[in-house]
Amino acid sequence: MRHNKLRTALTGLSVAWGIFMLITLVSVANGITRSFRENMMNSDTQKISVWGGVTTKPYHGYREGRSINLKNDDINTLGNEQREVVKEVTSELNGTQSGVSTNTTYVQAGFTGVFPSACELNKLDMLDGRFISQADLDKKAKVMVLPKQYAEQLFPPDGKKAVGQRVECAGLSFLVIGVYDARWRTIYIPYSTARVFSSDNDNLDQIILLLKGVTEIEQADNIEKDIRHTLASTHDFDPEDESGVWIWNAVSQALTVQGAMGILNIGVWVLGLLTLLSGVIGISNIMFVSVKERTHEIGIRRAIGAKPVKILTQILAESIAITTLFGYIGIVLGTALTEVLAAGIGSEMFAYAHVDLGIATQVTVVLIVAGALAGLFPALKALKVKPVEALRDE
Amino acid sequence: MIRLTEINKTYPGAVPLHVLKGINLHVERGELVSIMGASGSGKSTLLNILGILDNYDSGEYLLDGTLIKDLSENKGAEYRNRMIGFVFQSFNLINYKNAVENVALPLFYQGVSRRKRNMLAMEQLEKMGLADRAHHLPGELSGGQKQRVAIARAMITNPSIILADEPTGALDSSTSRDVMALFRQLNRQEGKTIVIVTHDPGVGRQCDRVIRISDGLIIPDESIKTDN
Repeated sequence: MRHNKLRTALTGLSVAWGIFMLITLVSVANGITRSFRENMMNSDTQKISVWGGVTTKPYHGYREGRSINLKNDDINTLGNEQREVVKEVTSELNGTQSGVSTNTTYVQAGFTGVFPSACELNKLDMLDGRFISQADLDKKAKVMVLPKQYAEQLFPPDGKKAVGQRVECAGLSFLVIGVYDARWRTIYIPYSTARVFSSDNDNLDQIILLLKGVTEIEQADNIEKDIRHTLASTHDFDPEDESGVWIWNAVSQALTVQGAMGILNIGVWVLGLLTLLSGVIGISNIMFVSVKERTHEIGIRRAIGAKPVKILTQILAESIAITTLFGYIGIVLGTALTEVLAAGIGSEMFAYAHVDLGIATQVTVVLIVAGALAGLFPALKALKVKPVEALRDE
Repeated sequence: MIRLTEINKTYPGAVPLHVLKGINLHVERGELVSIMGASGSGKSTLLNILGILDNYDSGEYLLDGTLIKDLSENKGAEYRNRMIGFVFQSFNLINYKNAVENVALPLFYQGVSRRKRNMLAMEQLEKMGLADRAHHLPGELSGGQKQRVAIARAMITNPSIILADEPTGALDSSTSRDVMALFRQLNRQEGKTIVIVTHDPGVGRQCDRVIRISDGLIIPDESIKTDN
């Protein structure tokens, strides 16, 4: 190798290029996947939400255009089905905007009546205090969890003292038990407390099913279908009527996105590896030439006692060394480019593009395998060199 | 040290070539012998078999009491490494390795550590009077120096025999004499068994015994005398 540096360098360049392409593509794809995850999946991915809708098909003597209202009983009905995958069936009740005031200040805010699981369900980041408990729910306690923004407004300057304070709302005194941070702002109160305020005691805004361990899109879709069928029989509408109830299947959606990301990832790897392949073939070629040129030398080594496996490993090691060396040039360039993309281009696509340790490890493994692959056939050819070659004159 | 009994070797082909037709050869420990013969006499084939570089079809080859027959590649490599020191006409040094590295190479294949093998190689080079050339590449050495490096490489594993193939073939007459003197010295002082294949009668005369091969057979010693 050291005899023909230019030849080696030129061939090595194709390996560097292949790795450069691979690492850039993979890290950009990873970045896209990550940005999707950050943007779309800040709520729980094991969640199916159901709202009441309006029928579009006549059924059992009913005309189309009938409103379907979810009832309290539906929570139990749905909870009794699909037991093994349903972790919890809960609901949320969205109250109208109301004024919340302290002695000195006042905000206009929306309310959501929730179950304790809502904290986990919405991936709330609790800054201070605690979330609503089952005890609060049972007692219909007048407690509330404030979003950070309201806490700051009601208890200036930073809202740090909010927990434990009392606020006035609709003529009642509420105890602030916690402060959370999220992208939205609504005041969480116990579901049971919210019911008291709501005029219609039996109707639900929505039902939320929290699932566990659903990993197949088909399974998620089947659960959705079962929910629709169950509600169709209790509320007497056509199970084929898609708008009788509105169902947002976050599980299926997340799995679909996940699947698409998986395919993107595979596609990117295939592209990168194919690009690398041309480099590998190049290395293989110069290793063949090198073995040919060194037939005599290999013969000498065999004559003075080199075992075949030593010759094999020498050629493989050389091939791996060249591939890895130039591969790392590619890794460095690829890393530089992705960092520039991440820093320079404002698009969120690239904001998360980084060459992390995982990618670096994977690519290193790829390099070693590629080097071994490139050296394999030349090395096998070198094995065929007989020690008698040493006696031939050059 | 070397005992060949009825060695036969045929190269297969469209017209099979019967090269060795029953070679019987006996070399004692500590002997310095030369094998002479015209080209096509089977001399090179005999050398290959002696050097465990080639197999033979029938007969028996005992080297230092070990039967050398139908060895695997690995066994062959190991025996070559430990029992045979090769010296070639064209030196066969590896041209991108310096003198010490070349001399140390057989020890590398024995798994000796770099430090130790370089130390031993240095000792050998000192014996050959080449200590000051230790870090020169073969290209920077004269023919005689190269051959002495090659001899140092052959000696480093302390082999049972030194097998030299036309060791003076590429050297001028005065250097040839030096190299032959070196062989004689190794033979007399260290008791090395040395077999030199040559077609140079001058080389043959400096050996204890000349073995002549012709047409795949050893010519008995008596007839050599009448030849001369």
